[in-house]
Amino acid sequence: MTAPALAVLALVIGYPIVRAIILSFYHYPLLSPFRNFIGAGNYQRLANDPVFWQSLVNTGIFTGASVVLGLLVGLVLALALERLQGPWRFVRGVLLTPWAMPVIVVAFLFQFMFDEQGGITDALLQRTGIVHHAIPWLTSPNWAMVAVTLANVWQQAPFFLLIFTAALGGVPNEVIEAARIDRARGWSMVARIKLPYLRSAALVGALLMIIQNFNNFPLIWAMTEGGPGYSTSTLVIYVYRLAFTSFNVGYSSAIGVVWLVLLLFIAGWFIRVLRGQNS
Amino acid sequence: MTTVTDTDTAAPARTYRTRRRLPIARAVVIVVVALFAVWTLWPLYWMLSTSLKTSREATSLTPTVWPHSLDGSHYTGLFTGSLPFTNYFVNSIFTSLVSALVAVLISTLAGYSFSRGGYRLNGALSLAVLATQMLPLVVLIAPLYLLLLKAHLLNTYLGLVIGYTSFGIPFGAWMMKGFFDGVPREIEEAARVDGYSRFGILFRVVIPLSVPGLVTTGVFVFMNTWNNLLYPLTLINSDQKQTLPPGLLQSFSGTFKTDWGGMMAASIVTSLPLVIAFFLVQRSMVRGLTAGALAGT
Repeated sequence: MTAPALAVLALVIGYPIVRAIILSFYHYPLLSPFRNFIGAGNYQRLANDPVFWQSLVNTGIFTGASVVLGLLVGLVLALALERLQGPWRFVRGVLLTPWAMPVIVVAFLFQFMFDEQGGITDALLQRTGIVHHAIPWLTSPNWAMVAVTLANVWQQAPFFLLIFTAALGGVPNEVIEAARIDRARGWSMVARIKLPYLRSAALVGALLMIIQNFNNFPLIWAMTEGGPGYSTSTLVIYVYRLAFTSFNVGYSSAIGVVWLVLLLFIAGWFIRVLRGQNS
Repeated sequence: MTTVTDTDTAAPARTYRTRRRLPIARAVVIVVVALFAVWTLWPLYWMLSTSLKTSREATSLTPTVWPHSLDGSHYTGLFTGSLPFTNYFVNSIFTSLVSALVAVLISTLAGYSFSRGGYRLNGALSLAVLATQMLPLVVLIAPLYLLLLKAHLLNTYLGLVIGYTSFGIPFGAWMMKGFFDGVPREIEEAARVDGYSRFGILFRVVIPLSVPGLVTTGVFVFMNTWNNLLYPLTLINSDQKQTLPPGLLQSFSGTFKTDWGGMMAASIVTSLPLVIAFFLVQRSMVRGLTAGALAGT
């Protein structure tokens, strides 16, 4: 009964992977017929390509900052909203909405709010006197990274709220009662009793989001297309740009392959961590 | 927001604790929740209010926090204006629904045999499923493009749906396995004694018991395809067949640049199916989200 699934996956996953590995040894312009085998040429080029290294660093910054901030916001909210009851639970539902929105919409919305001319963020910051000059959110290399990360955190923090809420529901009542009898309250209750129970949820959630943000194409592409310059180009963006705007499929595949290997290591680590959690 | 914490005084079992709690701690909680509520809700409010402003007000260089007058023309404009929004919308609905159906059908079969198969098969396949979930789709896209080019399937619905199955099936198979694991084997044993074939058991006994699982998996695949930008952006190149994400992206970075009101109205209409779907499956959301995470265990 697995035959149909395996057949489809061989076609849409197996074949492309093998083909990508083969392509990575070729000079392969998408639009011209001149294609030739160049051995490890693409890989040599990659080692000396400053944009590749910059994209790698950008991927790290974007992923790291998004996951850390999203996790913290989600954790604080989950603890603060834990004891919502009855109809008030809808507050949590409303706060989850960003996670349900299409990524492209999040990109549009933040592009609009961060617009330098008439964007509400700059307008409010200037009206309240926090800044005097409009911040070039999407047109300065450093601020652009801040802008895409903020948009990403806005969307992903509810994911952490969701998994932490589920994990808090799993803390046994007896443990809470026992701690209460020992007069654990407020902060000590949270730090000593609840946080340890949230460790595995935090780990699983963080790993999932690391992988997801490594692969986050739509948000960055729609907000900045990886620009200005290459300042917000992560590896996904760079691979896509090479293949479909420079039409250099061979080189793009070489980067894809390197990245695939990188992700496999992360995935392997992920699986080991999870097995450790379960046993 | 104040009422949020008032609710625990209503719960009799916890009253003694709440009374003793420091008022400062309680105030901190309220402030934190209020701050995060503003952070979350403000962009949503801004999207809605901009979509209801007049064009002139929406693009003003000094934005107004409260709309001066409400105006629905951005919404009607989506369906009557020169932006082929209706086209994109219908294409998105169509390809997402077909992908969800195909993925559910194929992954039901796969999920069932994962669930009932031997341990060895199960372990190896579930690792494969996990690995495919982590695959960067962008690495697959160039070879897939070349493949569909050769098969003359570029710019067709079929080609796009084939592309979507690459993430729909691994995910769906794993979710369905989880649901089938919850169906007691004794029921199947009984059906076998009654002379049902293996497929008979699956279709007449197991599937009717797993309808909620089928629906949830379908909704998840629908959400993922509705959200996908990369595949249609590369595999489709005409407005006629384009779906919402790339269609809107191309329109609003080209012809309709800085039509913020229209952009926000389009955003709201694009979000609605997804937000509705999300709240339909919210209960099984955590399970769905971590489906991939637990695959390796």
